[in-house]
Amino acid sequence: MSRDEYTRRDFIRRALGLGLAAYGLGKGLKLAGGESAAEAAGKPTVVVARNRKPAELVRAAVDALGGMGKFVKRGNTVLVKPNIGWARKPEQAATTNPEVVAEVVRLCKAAGARQVKVMDHAVDRPDQVILSMTGIQAAATAAGAAVSMASSPALYERVNIKRGKALKQTDVMRDLLRADVFINVPIAKVHSSTVLTLGLKNLMGTVWDRGAWHGSASLDQAIADYLTEIKPDLVILDAVRILLTNGPKGPGRTKDLSLVAAGTDSLAVDAYGATLFGKRPEEIGHLARAREMGVGEIDLRRITIKNV
Amino acid sequence: MTYRRLRGLRRACQLLFFTAFVALFALAVYPIRTPVPPDIFLRSDPLIALSTMVSLRRIVLPLLWFALPVAGASIVLGRVFCGWVCPMGTAIDIGERVAHLRGRRPSQAPPWRRLKFYVLVGLLGMMALPVAHRSARELGLSQSVGLSAIYVMDPIALITRTFALAGTPAAQWLARYSSDTVTGWTYADFADRHPLLLRALSPVQLGLSAVARPVYFRAGLLTFAVFVGIIALGRVARRFWCRNLCPLGALLGAMGKWSALRLAVSDRCTRCLRCVNECKMGAITENPKAYLGAECIQCHACAAVCAEGAISVTLGSRQVGRETEVRLDRRRLLGSLGAGLAAAVLLKVDWGAKRSAAGVLKVSSSRLLRPPGALAEDEFVTACVRCGECMKVCPTNALQPAVGEGGLEALGTPVLVPRIGPCAQQCNACGQVCPTRAIEPFRPEEKAHLFMGTAAVNRSTCIAWSSDRTCLVCDEACSYNAISQVVENGRQAPVVHEDICVGCGICEWVCPVEPLGAIHVGSAGDRRHLSREEQRRLREMAAEPVDQTAGEAGRGGGRAEGAAGSPYPGL
Repeated sequence: MSRDEYTRRDFIRRALGLGLAAYGLGKGLKLAGGESAAEAAGKPTVVVARNRKPAELVRAAVDALGGMGKFVKRGNTVLVKPNIGWARKPEQAATTNPEVVAEVVRLCKAAGARQVKVMDHAVDRPDQVILSMTGIQAAATAAGAAVSMASSPALYERVNIKRGKALKQTDVMRDLLRADVFINVPIAKVHSSTVLTLGLKNLMGTVWDRGAWHGSASLDQAIADYLTEIKPDLVILDAVRILLTNGPKGPGRTKDLSLVAAGTDSLAVDAYGATLFGKRPEEIGHLARAREMGVGEIDLRRITIKNV
Repeated sequence: MTYRRLRGLRRACQLLFFTAFVALFALAVYPIRTPVPPDIFLRSDPLIALSTMVSLRRIVLPLLWFALPVAGASIVLGRVFCGWVCPMGTAIDIGERVAHLRGRRPSQAPPWRRLKFYVLVGLLGMMALPVAHRSARELGLSQSVGLSAIYVMDPIALITRTFALAGTPAAQWLARYSSDTVTGWTYADFADRHPLLLRALSPVQLGLSAVARPVYFRAGLLTFAVFVGIIALGRVARRFWCRNLCPLGALLGAMGKWSALRLAVSDRCTRCLRCVNECKMGAITENPKAYLGAECIQCHACAAVCAEGAISVTLGSRQVGRETEVRLDRRRLLGSLGAGLAAAVLLKVDWGAKRSAAGVLKVSSSRLLRPPGALAEDEFVTACVRCGECMKVCPTNALQPAVGEGGLEALGTPVLVPRIGPCAQQCNACGQVCPTRAIEPFRPEEKAHLFMGTAAVNRSTCIAWSSDRTCLVCDEACSYNAISQVVENGRQAPVVHEDICVGCGICEWVCPVEPLGAIHVGSAGDRRHLSREEQRRLREMAAEPVDQTAGEAGRGGGRAEGAAGSPYPGL
């Protein structure tokens, strides 16, 4: 039974984790301020930038993670995946803030990226309307990116999800698979079927057949499974303005937070993101499932939140 | 100017208009930014104007403004439109030249040129049939409409339809094939290496797979076959279509009966018959002095080939009489009128059958979904010339030619097929390109109360209703918040609010249940028979949906109001 195997693995991981955490805590106390110690202890960091203009939020957050040069090397091809899923205006907070996307592109270019592709596979139709209405095409193109929608099955490649439970295989954007660096730039919103949509849920826009995920044994499990195979190198969560009702498409009630959270542990960033909506991360089905798969941390006590 | 030069000028003029036709057609994409209306050729067609106004029994100004000048020009100059402007005529000329179709010898060409007049009269007969207009009757008006089948024979509608249903998919396939298979470049590669090419292609949204989705139209092959058939008739006689079948040619010929532009033949004529062999229309009989005025398309090839220089084109000259015109048999004319009427009666055998308020026949398919802004069914079917502009311009490929949804009389009219594409919330392109205003122009904001139909969930196949899995994609995608979730036995499931749903079909489009979806838009909520103002008021009266799950903890709490009271309680 998978459950037995689970418990055992979980036990070992937790024992190790607790030990390391205790070690880190001690070390951290000793060093008084020790992020480096926490990092050394394997404690994921989520950087939270607040109260600036959108572009500056991104810059501050990425700088605090060590700068874009840490992720993007000269000559790299970068795939940036914002949420460009709906024909909605930026102020309706159903799609990623265009200034956030543009700044990510600029930072990648400044770090020496050869090519920055901004891509999504929208749910809404038609692509031209979505690209122009969200403001992302104009902003990201001006920043030097090639913005496009992957709206043809010819642009996808079959990927086996080796550790998948609900999702065994799925067709993934070829541009993502070929990219040197993959940056996920979701927007934080409520979602009618998955409670919230943050970074993990945003990855559903990188596959061709989302319907198969819904038809699978469990959507939450499918979302969790996908992260075992496709891991963003960096997640930049846009919470400049969040959508509180009628998500994911809206229009609904919004709230200005002027906040951007970033990190390399997709789960940790999402766990922090859940708190923006007054939710505990464990309440979000796909985050809990992903935690069980061991692809990251959602326990806020084991995540270093670094405010900048 | 010599007549040879004039011939060159005419060919240049033909090519110019043909290029303009193709360019306007290609540029008819959402959002529409063409300098002139993309449907200008259709609107300039006097036959379309005549048939629409006769069968609708009212003046349609957007048609009149463009059709009147062409009609006026035909009265003065005869069938100059056919020889210099008509894109179908040009396509036939090009086709005959490319395929070396030269027709039989003039003496052996079939003498069928009267046929086109009978076709015209027959079509007018159909339009004359008084059909009690359902929605008018319900509003207490005694208005009737006729039945127009002009679409079958009108050349401009025919060639536009061919370009739309067969040309667009073919061009896209070609572009996609060359970009995907031959070069293998992705969008970003194009953006890097050939930004100019990409920019050049983007206004026509031609098919690089990253730029546009492939389009598909049912009945595209049939349309193409008709078009090829028309050109292939050149084997029998050059411009066979224009001489024998085209009702627009018949109309323009009849209007140009007293045209001022005439051929004059001097005594130098040696009766070499070179002009007779050269005339594409077979308008010159054995005696060059007596040509058929209504058949002449003013190409002036006769004057260009005349070795003696005996033929000249004159304005208003009466010095040479011409053969009166094609002699029409009165009995046959009356016969065609009667046949047209009878055909209309037979097409309307549904008299007495039950109809919905919107005029939709209750025995037609429940999937008869019309584009927003469409006239009530009787008027719509009559006004639509099946040019395919609305289908071509539809950015989601959702508009398709009706094959059976509305019965035989509605063949080829646009229907929304949600499983192919949804009616996009922001788009109003179809209303901007309809030449006859069968789809009236509308603003995107009005779409919230232009009711095309209503969605209904099939609870036995819906993932959320019939299993314990999570799926609310229809709710997610609904542009009008017309779907919300209820909790049934602890599970979330979608429900449709019928008074808010306009039937755009995005729910059906995104539904992951293969192959046909578990939520379907039916024509039940079709409210075309009501004025926009009435529809707007109905929408305002509709209560906003209340989510049963609102405020609940855990699953479904995503919609909870005030959930974000304090942003960081967990820390």
